[in-house]
Amino acid sequence: MKGKGISLGSVSKRWGSPILLILAWEIIGRFGLVDPYFLPQPTAIVRAMIRMAQSGELLKHMEASIIRALSGYILAAILGIAFGIAICWSRIVDTVLDPIFELLRPISTLGLVPLMIMWFGIGNGSKIAIVLKACFFPILLNTIAGIRGVNSKLIQAGRSLGASEFQIWTKVIIPAAMPVIFTGMRISTAISMLAIVGVEMFSADSGLGFVIIDSQRVFATDKMFVGILTLSIIGFSMDYVARSIGKRFLAWHISTLTSGQI
Amino acid sequence: MPLIRARGISKKYPNGSGNPTLALEDFSLDVGKNEFVSIVGPSGCGKTTFLMLVAGLERFTDGELLLEDKPVKGPDPAHAIVFQEYLLFPWRTVWQNVEFGPEVRGLSKSERTQLVEKYLKLVGLEGFEKRFPSELSGGMKQKAAIARALANEPKVLLMDEPFASLDALTRELLQRELLRIWQQTEATVLFVTHSISEAVYLADRVVILSPRPGKIRGILKIDLPRPRGSSILTSTEFIRYEREIRDLVWNEGQRN
Repeated sequence: MKGKGISLGSVSKRWGSPILLILAWEIIGRFGLVDPYFLPQPTAIVRAMIRMAQSGELLKHMEASIIRALSGYILAAILGIAFGIAICWSRIVDTVLDPIFELLRPISTLGLVPLMIMWFGIGNGSKIAIVLKACFFPILLNTIAGIRGVNSKLIQAGRSLGASEFQIWTKVIIPAAMPVIFTGMRISTAISMLAIVGVEMFSADSGLGFVIIDSQRVFATDKMFVGILTLSIIGFSMDYVARSIGKRFLAWHISTLTSGQI
Repeated sequence: MPLIRARGISKKYPNGSGNPTLALEDFSLDVGKNEFVSIVGPSGCGKTTFLMLVAGLERFTDGELLLEDKPVKGPDPAHAIVFQEYLLFPWRTVWQNVEFGPEVRGLSKSERTQLVEKYLKLVGLEGFEKRFPSELSGGMKQKAAIARALANEPKVLLMDEPFASLDALTRELLQRELLRIWQQTEATVLFVTHSISEAVYLADRVVILSPRPGKIRGILKIDLPRPRGSSILTSTEFIRYEREIRDLVWNEGQRN
């Protein structure tokens, strides 16, 4: 018999192996095969998580990380798209900015942390700047690639229908480039989490990166795992939101991809 | 006064080696109002180039090109073009695609709605307004593209091998549809094709071009009664026109 929707078969296929892994992990801990200092049991991690959630500690650190990551990300999206458009729009802007960006791009983001702290202080400023640096380039490069990849005949079609140069940009080029720009934005959501954790480990008294590094200092491995787990949940949720937005607004693109010609 | 007047047009494309490619040479043609003119010729003969010049999407090197006695200076909604590859905007629905021209020209919402409704009905796409182009068949996409071009109420409709990527039966169907649309709108049509029978079936006059550089080999007036049904395709006059054009395209070509 084939059940529709969620059948036992499909659930076990999707979740079977992770559940087995967690069970094995728990058993290894229970029988004292591994020192809990290195690998606390899943139940111990959940208990620590509940403890931290009840005291409000977890929410405070989550909030700190998310606000910093989101601020840096939004700035990166605005600047990345704006500079991408400017570079494709004007050859002069391209000539001036492209070499500068090419020099800045390879600089290791985390290598800049001490400098950013000197410039923007130990507070949120330096952390937002680091996330901005990390997220800016994927969005910029995808914006440029998206715009340059627009079918030039589509632009001709727009012109022949009477669109002005400005309307060609707003009504043809940018909408046509949107799927690729959006890919850059989606890649950067993951990068923003990567960057914020790195910088919070360096110098912070809040945030999930701080939770992780601080737990190491006081040998609270269970708390460390709570930090890691929470990060993974946030990352997963951000990607889920990004994908849902994509499905909602770029439905045309997905069906164009599957059907071939425009 | 002809609607389109082309006098001694030539078009050179620059290329790497320094001697530019001559795509069109000394091309002269008058197209009257409400006339349906087909241009046939082998690939690379510059027939599409001529269409792009009339559309204002490319500049010519020499000559004079007038639309209603005014020089063609650039793209203009008065000369709309329909491409072989449809080139609908994939992020816009059928309705929004047809609305594009009136929208960028700044017409009011009610004027736009009126135009879109009128031309979607004319091409027979009612009921498909909310579909995206990717959800349409090739023939329907081209109908949508024709409606989009007509929504600007152009003086001349330029068509660049519009049915070349369609299957044979859809192609026949759309040819008949195009004739019906042309008769209802009294538009002027300049139709580029590499199909001799398509050219004869549709047009009042057929312009035959030589291989590159494109020069006019001959202009044939097609005296077949309208409306033309598909039975005309097997009539002796039709076949005689086809043979005459084929001779012009090929015999001359062999002599060169």
